[in-house]
This record gives sequence, structure tokens and C-alpha cells, in this order.
Amino acid sequence: MASRRAHRGWTEAHVRRAFWRAGFGATPHEARHWARRGKGATIRWLLNGGPSPAPRMRAPRLDGRRLDPENEWGHDVLWWLDRMVRSRHPLQEKLTLFWHDHFATTDQDTPLMLAQNRTLRRHALDRFPDLLESVTRDPAMLLFLSLADSDKESPNENYARELMELFTLGRGYSERDIRQAARALTGFRADWRDDGSVRTSYDREWHDAGAKRVLGKVGRFDWKDVLELCVGHPAHAPFMVGKLWDFFVGSPLPSSARAHLVRVYRRSGLRVRPVVGAILAHPGLYGNLDAPNMVKSPVVFVAGALRTAGQGIDRDAWTWMLQAMGQYPFRPPSVAGWEWGASWLSSNSMRVRFDFANYMLDTARAGVKDGSTPTSLSPRTAVARARRAVGDPWTSARTDAELMRVARRVLADESDESADMCQRALRHLLISGPDAQVH
Amino acid sequence: MNAHRACDDFHRSSERLRRDYLGGPPLTRRQVLGLGVGGGVALYLSQAMPVQRVLEAAAADAAAAPNGPVLVSVFLPGGVDLLDTLVPLHDYGRYADLRPGLKVEGVPLAGTSIGLHPSLARGVGGGVKGLYERGKIGFLPGIDYSNPDLSHFHSRHFWETGLITDSSAPGWLGRWLDRAGSRDNPLQGVSMGYGLSPVMRSGRAPVAAVASPGDAGFWIRGVWGDAYDEAMAAYARLGRVRGGGHALSASREAARLAKLVADRLTPYGVDPLASSVAYPEDSDFGQRLRYLAAMISKPLGIRVADVEADADFDTHDNQAELTTLLGEVSECLAAFQADLEARGLSNRVLTFVWSEFGRRPEENNSGTDHGAGGLAWVQGDRARPGVHSDYPDLNRLDREDNLQVTIDFRRVYSSLLEQHLGTDAGSVIPRAGSFGRLALVQ
Repeated sequence: MASRRAHRGWTEAHVRRAFWRAGFGATPHEARHWARRGKGATIRWLLNGGPSPAPRMRAPRLDGRRLDPENEWGHDVLWWLDRMVRSRHPLQEKLTLFWHDHFATTDQDTPLMLAQNRTLRRHALDRFPDLLESVTRDPAMLLFLSLADSDKESPNENYARELMELFTLGRGYSERDIRQAARALTGFRADWRDDGSVRTSYDREWHDAGAKRVLGKVGRFDWKDVLELCVGHPAHAPFMVGKLWDFFVGSPLPSSARAHLVRVYRRSGLRVRPVVGAILAHPGLYGNLDAPNMVKSPVVFVAGALRTAGQGIDRDAWTWMLQAMGQYPFRPPSVAGWEWGASWLSSNSMRVRFDFANYMLDTARAGVKDGSTPTSLSPRTAVARARRAVGDPWTSARTDAELMRVARRVLADESDESADMCQRALRHLLISGPDAQVH
Repeated sequence: MNAHRACDDFHRSSERLRRDYLGGPPLTRRQVLGLGVGGGVALYLSQAMPVQRVLEAAAADAAAAPNGPVLVSVFLPGGVDLLDTLVPLHDYGRYADLRPGLKVEGVPLAGTSIGLHPSLARGVGGGVKGLYERGKIGFLPGIDYSNPDLSHFHSRHFWETGLITDSSAPGWLGRWLDRAGSRDNPLQGVSMGYGLSPVMRSGRAPVAAVASPGDAGFWIRGVWGDAYDEAMAAYARLGRVRGGGHALSASREAARLAKLVADRLTPYGVDPLASSVAYPEDSDFGQRLRYLAAMISKPLGIRVADVEADADFDTHDNQAELTTLLGEVSECLAAFQADLEARGLSNRVLTFVWSEFGRRPEENNSGTDHGAGGLAWVQGDRARPGVHSDYPDLNRLDREDNLQVTIDFRRVYSSLLEQHLGTDAGSVIPRAGSFGRLALVQ
């Protein structure tokens, strides 16, 4: 009980909330550690990472070999999941996921997608304009949104449209702005080699150097000018902070908080870290600690279940399960990314989440070997044992009552198998039940 | 001028939308009965009833309308090009000027001035072309809405909801279920896939997403007998807990629905759904259509369903891929129709094929950008055959150099609701009366 005591109102429940939203859950050890250290220290660690007590697990091996993300099917996903599970800077991985959704790119060669992923991670918390510039000339993006080979003779509007609609503004531009920006964005080209690889470059000869009118300004704009016009537009900061807020907080953004976040974002020179820091410090993030109000996305659900249980990546089933749950990393459904929120939870994806617990029950940490459970456990100690094995997750009072009921009923049958089966059933419900889907 | 009209359209409808279409008070029994479709049996069910009674009610629902009409929505994502799909042979010279690099030799369609993309003849019985020739397709060239929004996401949202609004809203088929469907049978509205399509999202009516019906069942590793039953009973009870905020409610509801779907589908075994018709190999789209045809053949009470093609019709720089994309669509849809016929279901299933917009008449160097005036079609024994809207005039483009829209998609929705599903369109589509009707069903 002492470890749950408030550190000036900062409890283990607060730590778990912050860690789930800013990362992939807190282990019981992390929850105790950061509840003692307090809110400020916790948020500083989340923003900057560091050696403190992240789970210690070995680098994954499948069939005795290291992951081969570029060549083996599904290993790209496992490679990233492993980073989420073992990271000493979970927020960096969480924001990399955010940017992968924001700048959603799909259907490109795996080496290009992995290179883009590194770019997103490198800039994840820093200046948005730098990130935007890197993404715009990123080969996977150049190919995906047809900016490569968009030339002055026939400018392609694909990137210009998504740049304004999805990447920077959301609103406040016209069809004409898109067409004019498309002209300014011309000049990138892609050259395919005989081995099937591609090299992208910028070629002034392909660029339309004429005057354009974009977002109310006139000039001989090139691609960097257009990016600057977009991030300098009054609609950009409210758009960006609103999207970040929605990613981290499950309740609407109050207008006073929006104004504050916009100020923080602009004064910092359009940096991400200060905005996310302000969001993590905002009381709105810590509402409803007894009834979490955000649905875990499949990636967060899977990475979080593994991380909090201290279970490393040791099989490739996680890849197809993520696909079946509706969030297949490196393959978002479209340039708009995934639809977040309650829509993750169709009846089918819920069934796959249920099935995920069966695979967890086959791992070293959460699994139960035949005959491994003492037969003398009381229902209460059986539930406590199951909770520890899966990282002591948050549960509602209703779930607590159901777990006790299952334990009592199953343990009442004094057959040889009932102690093990009771453990498996409890752990399964803790991993797969409705409470485990929210954070 | 046009832009202002669009805004008016939005604002005028938005107040009524909030009141009537975005979740007003639940209907009273009399109002639902007044719509005259479906929900009669379900009206007496409360949401917290035992699973077994729900299943009995759903089976009764199916039994009450064994030949009830089924509407299937097939979405071709990305914006399908009209000009290269239904080639305007009546103005081929102008077409060739607009599409010097891309132009397609359309296969003439008897009795029309349209030439079909050659890929649309692929598949059993001559594919889409064969279906047309047998009187089972009605084409709708130039379909869209006035002042089209060329964003994939906005336009798709409008089509999915049947509303020109940027607010979130239930899908038009989900809204139909809210008005006319059952309160207890989630399989009345099925999204074929991993997630629920926005088309099928409802306000109150239970609906389901089904990726692979053979896999719908539950199991727990290393747990069986009474212990398994205890665990599943606990899971089911947790699914019925009320309250706790929207995320937790959604999670509990998902658990409840997943359990219901499993209970409904598991009795049919691992692959109960074999078809006598060959679908294209390696096509997930075909696979979903195959599952759907099989599920419609079972007494599950399916009323509306949606399927999304895997294709990406957003052909900015790769219009040549239309050959592959349309070929797969043609093969899959022809197999679906043949399957429905072989199962004796084709007289009650109507399929509506659509995309979020068309593409610009003038090509860029290797593809086409977003445009207005796309295409859609109705397909099935009950589809009124022919070409039911004017082909946009290639010599009279709008001020953005896009095709003029010749038919509003909400006119088509209203017509399908009334002529196929037998529901007053005004209860689902705002201001349905203003769009008029078109005979689409025979």
C-alpha cells in the first residue's frame, strides 16, 4: 500500500497512464519507481529517455537467428515491435508510430520503408519543419505519392494535396493552391536500375521555375518554399497540436489548452518535444483513471502486453496477428493512415485480440507448464499469481469480481489439472478481456 | 457561386442532421413498425438479454423473411476513372485528344455508345461485359454530387454516410439498420473484412465485421471442460457490463459482439461455405465475396453487407494498371453473381458498385489526377439493365476542367432504399425528396 501512496498526487495509476499514452505501458517495477520519483521526473524521463529501469531483455532470436528485417517476411514488423518492447525511450517509438500514421506510406520496398522509419525516428521529437523536409524527399514517399517524376510538363497533384490536407493544414487552402503548389513541387525524379532498386534525385531541368501563387503569396517557389508556406500558415499550429492531443488524450481539446499548446509550439520554433511535454503535464491526460477512455491500437495492445509482461519477441505470429487486428505496420490502409479510436474494435479484431492471448499463453513469461502451479493456492493468491505473470494490468472492479469467481469455481474442482487451467484462464482473461483493450 | 451553394447545402442540412440523423432519441415501437421492414421481431428485445434468446430471435428474424432482399455495397477505393473504363465511343476523337497516351480501345457494348475496357470482359461468362449482355447490370456514368470535393477522405466520407458533412456520422447502411433493422442480430449488417466499414457503422443497431467466418470461434490454450466454460461465461458477462465511458463501452460491446458472432457461425464448422463456382485464385476480394455468398445462403438474417476491393484505383502515375485492377474486379464480381445464381439467391441480392470520385479528363503524363463524375453500377437479377444516366459531355468541362456531374449518388441511394429495401428513403437520406428517384430495380 505504501508504494501506492501519492507523491504530491502522483500515484502508480498516474505513472501507468503516462507510460501507456507516451509509450507501451509500465512494468510493475517502473510503476513503483516513477511513482516515488514524482510527476516532473517521470515526464522528463519520458521526453528524453535514459537508462532507468526499462525492462531488461535480450535481443530477439527466431529459430536461433537474429531478425532480418530487410529480407525475411514479417521481420520488419518484429524489428519495430522489439524496439517498442525493449526501448529505453518509449516515447520516441510511440511518436515514430504517430508519424508513420501521419505521413502514412505504404506498398514500397522494405528497405525504403525501413529507411523512412529511421527518418521518422530521428526527427520524432524535434523540429517539425526538418521532419517535413526529410519526409518530402524520402524515397518511399516520393514514390508513394507520385512526386518522383512529377515534372514541369505535367505536374502531379498527389503530394501537394496530401501535404496540405493531411500533413500540415487540414483546411484553409483551395484547389487552386494545390495545383499551384504541385508546380512548385516539381523536379524530383526516380531512376530505376537494372537490379530493381531505385535512386531518387532532384533535377532542376524538371522543375517548373515560373511564378506561382500559393496560399496567398506569389513567387518563383520551389519545393522548400512550399513547405515553408505550409508550416508558416496560421492554420498549421492549431492543426498540428490538435492532432498530437488527439493521439495522447481521449477527451476533446479545450480551447484554452489549444491556445497554450499553439503558443508552446510556435515559441519553440515548431518543435514537437515541448508540445508533447505540455500534453503529458496536462491534467486532461489523467482523467478517468478508473475507467480509461482510449482504445489501445493493435500495435499498442501487442507491444504493451509483451513489454509489461517482460516478454521479448520470440515468434513471427505477432506480424500476422497485427494484420488481422487491422494495424499492419509499414502497410497503413491509405495515405490518411489508420482510423483510431473505437473503430479498432470490430467483432473480428476483438476475436483476434482474444486469440493473441493464446499465443501469449505459449510464451515463457505468461505461459503455464503442466504441473507448474501449486495446487494449494487460494482463489485470491491464484489471481495475484496470474496478475504478476502478465505485468499486473489495470482492471475494473467488475473484472476483479469475475476473476475471483472463475478462480473459485475452477479451483473447486480438485482434479490434477485445475490449478494450471485456472492460471491459464485467469491470465487469458487479463490479456484478452475488455479492460485490457483500453488505456 | 458554386462554392457558396455547397456551403449552404451543408449548413442547411446540418441542423436537421444533428436532430434527425446523428443520433436523436430512439424510435418508438410505432415509428419503427411504420417503416414496415425487418425489425418487428427485434422490437421486443432488450439489449441485456441472454445470448440464447438473442440467437433464437435472430434465427426467427431470418425465418420471418427467408427471401428478404439483401443489398451489397462494393467499394472500389481510390477513384475509378470513367473515361478509360466506360469509353465514350460517341466522342472518341475528343477522348483521344484528352488521353493521347492512355486511350483505350473500348469493346462496344450493344445498344449503347459505350465501349468497355477490355479487362471488363474477363471472368466467368464474359465478366462484367457478359453480365451486361445478359441484362444484369445498370451503369451510372457521371455519378457524383454537385461541387465535388476532390479529397479522397472527404468524398469517401460523403459517399459512406450519404451526407455532405464533415461531421462524423453513421454510415448510410448502418443508419438504415438503425431505422429498419433488428436490435439483437449483429449479422444483419456485415462488413466483410477485418474492420467495420464506415458504410456499416450504426447508431444503435448491432452490426458485425467478418473476415473469415470459419475462424470466428473461440478457444483458450490448455483450458477445456468446465474451466473453459467458466472463463467464457466470465468473458460474456464482462461484455454485457454497461457504463464506464466510451472506450470501455466500445471494448465491452466488441467482446459481446465477437462472442455472438462466434456463437452464430461456429455451428457451420470449419469450412461449411464451399462454393460450386470458381473464384479467382489469390484474390482476397474474391475470397470475401465467396464468404459473403455462402453466409447469405445461411439463415443468419443478413440484410446489408459491404465488401471493399483490394485494388487501388488512385492511378496518378500508373493508369496502365487499370488492366489488372479492372480484370480482377470483373472476374470476382462475375464469380459472385454466378455463385449467387448457383445457390438460388440471385433473385434477392442486389449489388451496388461505387468509388469515391472519378478522374480528370486530361491525363498527366502517365496517369490521371482526381476528378469529378465517376461511375457506379447496380448488378444482379433485379438490376434494371441499361445505362441510366447521361454520359458527361467531354466538350463541356467545369471550370476546374473536370467532368460535369450528371447524377447525384444520393438519388441512387434513395432509389435503392425504396425499390430494393422497401424503406422510405427520407428516413435515411436527408432531404431525400429533393434528389428524385431513378428506376434501378426490376
